[in-house]
Amino acid sequence: MMTKGRGRRVQCRAMTKTLTHIRRGIADTLPLFVPVVPFALVFGVVVGESGIAPWLGWSTSPIIFGGAAQITLLSLLGEGASVAAAVTAALIVGARHLLYSVTMAPRFQNQPRWFRWVGPYMLIDQVFALSMLRQEDDPHAFRVYFLSTGLCFWSLWLFFTAVGLFIGPLVPSQWGLVFAAPVLFTALLVMALNSWDKLAVALLAGGVTVLFSELPNRTGLLVGALLGIAMGLLLELRRSRS
Amino acid sequence: MTAFLAIVLTGLGTYASRAVFIVALGQRRFPPLILRVLEYVAPAVLGALVVSMLTTADGTVLIGLPELAGLACAAAVAWTTRNHIFTLLAAMVVFWTLRSLGL
Repeated sequence: MMTKGRGRRVQCRAMTKTLTHIRRGIADTLPLFVPVVPFALVFGVVVGESGIAPWLGWSTSPIIFGGAAQITLLSLLGEGASVAAAVTAALIVGARHLLYSVTMAPRFQNQPRWFRWVGPYMLIDQVFALSMLRQEDDPHAFRVYFLSTGLCFWSLWLFFTAVGLFIGPLVPSQWGLVFAAPVLFTALLVMALNSWDKLAVALLAGGVTVLFSELPNRTGLLVGALLGIAMGLLLELRRSRS
Repeated sequence: MTAFLAIVLTGLGTYASRAVFIVALGQRRFPPLILRVLEYVAPAVLGALVVSMLTTADGTVLIGLPELAGLACAAAVAWTTRNHIFTLLAAMVVFWTLRSLGL
């Protein structure tokens, strides 16, 4: 009887802990979703202008689950691009996910196999940035946090892109709500900085992206990110030599 | 039908790009140098992403005084409070104020 009671108490404590991680995941997701709302409305405008059936345009939300890639694909298809050209452009826009995959791989090593297959589906910018701030969590806490931010974003994105189909064409763009997106990513960036080297890398990546901003399909983003990482590699090589 | 094909292909490609290293490197050990370099991925991508978000589809970068002041304010508030909502409110107020003054 004693052990049974203690077992239940341990189980209860584990449940409370899990709930804490879920609550934290949802609390971190909600402010980050604010700038996604106008983005979902932009998505609605793009679908409307592309001439693609609204339900078909919306199906990109569960199938692709990546706003920038969805908008790129649908606007190119709407402009009459070939399937090959539109898919290639959308995948180039989403190529930074390869970097997320490499970066996250060590954190997935001590995770169950199902999570290694399911987790990547939700590995969007925000989930990546948020879970990078949780490097010190134990595997269980990391998994619960990752899944709750991911599922929270997923359901909100599916809902708001559906809403966007109806009201996207009605919101005035002068509100400038889209500026909330770079603001929140600046916040994520600042919270991830813990050395001057990283600040230098971030500034270099941003500067290079400005220089290459006229490359098509937002390739400048990739060039900037890759040069930033190359600088990180040089800094680390120099450190390990000295 | 061709549109649906394009959507499915992009979906598969996007999933593959997110999953490839996580699934393939499931049990492999990472060299310490790689692990340290990976720490720079987040600052680099986020730095590039912020700029990319201020860029229009045709490549024009929209960074004027309101944007710069808003982002500087965001960085300062995020650094001191570590709170997303405070950061968002402060930066948007700065951005809207400067923009309405026509700066």
